[in-house]
Amino acid sequence: MDNPVVYSVTEFQAICNQIIENAFTGAIIEGEVANFKLNQGKYVFFDLKDAESSVGCFMMAFSLRFPLEDGMKVRIRALPKLTKWGKFSLTVQAVVPVGEGSIKKSLELLKKKLSEEGLFKPERKRPLPSEISEIGVISSTQAAGYADFCKILNERWGGLKVQVAHTQVQGEVAADQIIRALQYFNERSEVQVIALIRGGGSADDLAVFNDEKLVRAVAASKIPVITGIGHEIDESLCDLAADVVASTPSNAAQMLSRDKNEIIDASWGNIQRINNLLNTRIDEKYREIRDLKLEAKRQIDVKITTFQRDIEGILRILEQFDPEKVLQRGYAIISGKLDVGSVVDITTNKKTIKAEIKEIKDRN
Amino acid sequence: MVANSDNKKISKKIDELKAGVDWFYSDEFQLDEAADRYKKLNSLAQEIEKDLNGLKNEITVIDKDFSK
Repeated sequence: MDNPVVYSVTEFQAICNQIIENAFTGAIIEGEVANFKLNQGKYVFFDLKDAESSVGCFMMAFSLRFPLEDGMKVRIRALPKLTKWGKFSLTVQAVVPVGEGSIKKSLELLKKKLSEEGLFKPERKRPLPSEISEIGVISSTQAAGYADFCKILNERWGGLKVQVAHTQVQGEVAADQIIRALQYFNERSEVQVIALIRGGGSADDLAVFNDEKLVRAVAASKIPVITGIGHEIDESLCDLAADVVASTPSNAAQMLSRDKNEIIDASWGNIQRINNLLNTRIDEKYREIRDLKLEAKRQIDVKITTFQRDIEGILRILEQFDPEKVLQRGYAIISGKLDVGSVVDITTNKKTIKAEIKEIKDRN
Repeated sequence: MVANSDNKKISKKIDELKAGVDWFYSDEFQLDEAADRYKKLNSLAQEIEKDLNGLKNEITVIDKDFSK
């Protein structure tokens, strides 16, 4: 021990921490939570343990994105550290539940908490604007869900101004990126609606949409938010906090746009209907004119028949006065001077007779 | 805001077409006027189809790194 290096306790601990830091730039460790404690609403303490070992953990409460409780299996990213009291602990930078049971439990706890705060209340939901021309999209531009969204949007409608915030949509950093994108759109107020888009994936892939901070940011957005996350069966807490939920990215595009083909079909449908209506009206008018013509002809025929009957009646009357007809009935016409001794002409139906008048007497 | 104004023009044409069609079902309908009105609406429907098919969305990826 010639000229040994002598450290103070503080120096020794600083050197140890430097060595540890160099060895572990960020250790990823899985274990079970025990002795979970939240102090002053700011500081989180728990032990991470397995069957044989245990290590103390510390983290700031704002870094905790999921509710934790004892017995949950978690994966942490942490920096190992020797405290000034000589205790070895892990300063946790990020923690996520792992395993189906823990993820489900964590999700249930968060859902209950946010629900009690009223974040999912139906009365908070705002409808989509009726005339949408400016849309903000938050998605990964490399994701299939984003491609589906754009494809459907372009097929259905044109003239929309779409601003896309490219973010990661899975993994540890995704939630913060999406939150920044939400803030970006809200600060500018240029878009009428924000679409949060992500295609299908495993429960782990979609876990970011259950991040507490992100769910709160969705609920707090001044601009209405529509989510189109995963497949129809997937439901995230972001869906519950959003104003409108689409079952998929394609469905979100459908809900945000009118279908130009429907409008074109409806326009031509209207033209066809008025064309039919016009033909019907023309047919009606034609039938009306034809009926009027027939009626006019009928009226003329009636008049002619009436006139004919009248004329026949008159002719029949006139016939009664025809002297020949009178003679035919056996009467005779006497013509000449009606004096005694005068010769008169007697005309019968078939003969003309000359006769002399012998006597004239009054009948009464 | 070109896209927006184009959308408004199309919306105006669609409204015009609807109003024009309504006239055919209204009491104001006159057969004498109907043929001319029908021709105009037919042209309007053609314009709407052309305009809608001509409209393109303007999709811009924001030049900002959201990881920072």
